[in-house]
Amino acid sequence: MFDEIVAVTGNRHLGGSHFLLSVESPRQAQAARPGQFAMLRILGRSDVLLRRPMSIYNLKAKNSGGKNDPNPAAPQILEFLYKVVGHGTRLMSTLKRGDQIGLLGPLGHGFFEEDYLPQAHQANEILHVAGGIGIAALLLPAKRLAEAGFRQRLFFGGRSKADLVGVEDFRPLVRGMLMATEDGSAGYRGFVTRPLEEYLERHTNQKYLLMVCGPWAMLRACVELAKKYGHPCLVSMENRMGCGLGVCLGCCIRVQGSGHEAYQRVCTEGPVFWAEKIVWDAADGK
Amino acid sequence: MAKGKRQSSNDGQVSGADQFIPRIDTEVAGVRFQNPVWTASGTFGYGKEFSHLIDLNELGAIVVKGISPEPMEGNPSPRIYETESGMLNAIGLQNVGARRFLTEKLPFLRTLRAQCIVNVFAYSTEDYVRCLEILNEGEGIAAYELNISCPNTRCGGIVYGSDPKLTEEVVAASKKAARYPLFVKLSPNVTDITVFARAAEAAGADALSLVNTLVGMAIDIETRRPRLWNVTGGLSGPSIKPVALRMVYQAARAVRIPIVGLGGISTTEDALEFFIAGARAVQVGTANFYDPGTSVRLVQGLRDYCQKKRLHLSQIIGSLEVPERPTPMGSGN
Repeated sequence: MFDEIVAVTGNRHLGGSHFLLSVESPRQAQAARPGQFAMLRILGRSDVLLRRPMSIYNLKAKNSGGKNDPNPAAPQILEFLYKVVGHGTRLMSTLKRGDQIGLLGPLGHGFFEEDYLPQAHQANEILHVAGGIGIAALLLPAKRLAEAGFRQRLFFGGRSKADLVGVEDFRPLVRGMLMATEDGSAGYRGFVTRPLEEYLERHTNQKYLLMVCGPWAMLRACVELAKKYGHPCLVSMENRMGCGLGVCLGCCIRVQGSGHEAYQRVCTEGPVFWAEKIVWDAADGK
Repeated sequence: MAKGKRQSSNDGQVSGADQFIPRIDTEVAGVRFQNPVWTASGTFGYGKEFSHLIDLNELGAIVVKGISPEPMEGNPSPRIYETESGMLNAIGLQNVGARRFLTEKLPFLRTLRAQCIVNVFAYSTEDYVRCLEILNEGEGIAAYELNISCPNTRCGGIVYGSDPKLTEEVVAASKKAARYPLFVKLSPNVTDITVFARAAEAAGADALSLVNTLVGMAIDIETRRPRLWNVTGGLSGPSIKPVALRMVYQAARAVRIPIVGLGGISTTEDALEFFIAGARAVQVGTANFYDPGTSVRLVQGLRDYCQKKRLHLSQIIGSLEVPERPTPMGSGN
């Protein structure tokens, strides 16, 4: 974990309210594991005090590594795929190449920790299920799994076609992609759970591992499907965060357990959890 | 990471114009602290969480997350909301409980040069006493900080912190039970802070910490629901600093016991204002969340200021000069 002031190397508008921010931090890029996140701080503003948690979307080597670069292939750039939803992300969208931001990371418990990976090996195929900007948490795990030769498939839902960003990055990694939009502008009309359920229903003899990231209602629906068809399911959770370090306890969500174990921190025990660990009908469901 | 670059306690003698070495160590309630920059309860976990980011040995003290006699689960989400130059929180004092604190958290804290102050929270006078009795078994605690002012628990601390009689009752009972010096953390959510400062002093408090968070709220105008599950929460961050500073100033004039100032401190200049108003030490709170290096930077900034002004910290504390006016404490419209 590093707390650094880093340079913005790009902030590309992808259409709609989506942007791709690139920053240079060799230390964090090389330490990052799939499913982890970083806390981004807009500097010099007293109205946006807190850092913003962002999934690490992609890692890249710097194009001009230079002759003195001892390890030119090692990643040095972190990419963050984000959607402008409020004041903080609006300010973020005005960042330009050469600007500086605060970057604290990499943080959290990603997709391939401890007991998560063996489940992947038992699966015939990994099913990534993304809701909107939730896609940002899934690219790095998909890349890593593709390198290891896993079969993968992407189910991607959004309100409309403009929400389906990052599809091209996934295309070379997966055997198939199934889209759903609420307005029917791309793929199935409706929620992403519709193509997912059809797929699970058609292949009941297969073993899958689901990796899901998106809004609460979508996560919950996917988790129910995974349970119904008997597949293990990992979810990448999000919540408002104060610190990302595990001390403010602002991001806690209700999990199975009692007493002081009843809540776990999305920033520290998460963001990736086994679906059954989460209490999905907790009063705080969004 | 800097490794204990400089010992803060030195002889501090003024031995020639260019050799002035300022002393920034401080004493509160008979406890010596290598410097007056501490981290506030609930913003710094149990210290270890920051050990990869800053040198904890540079701090004067770490005030740990509020400890209750039994573990507490805290409030449902959403627990925090960012506001203009601040944040609201309603965590609900989730913590590991006194026994697990002693076995799991204290041994690490004991290894540091920073002193360990344990913030204590309970729902009744009996439970405050019970919590202290458990904690008394721990070695290496510099002091207790009695939290009688948390706004985020049902029928909790705020009741004690907003009734001078109850303040006296819980402080007196706690003082009797406490093996270590007792600091009392006051609520700013009162009309006259001096009433509570005096009540705590009269009941035997060794020092006062002020202020805790200001009760506030925020509403989502789309859903017309409160932004926090708890409806209201505690406001902290730079936006509360002027209020906290005013209360430290008032309390410092009202009591003899030392004052520890906190509320929105994020720069050396902020900390200096509190010292000048009469604080013997300061705590950095919300700034730890967005800039973990703040407290260590403040230690250096304070040293630099003292060097430049050729003053020891003790000469700055309470050095406020209020010019004489016909109405000395006007409301300043």
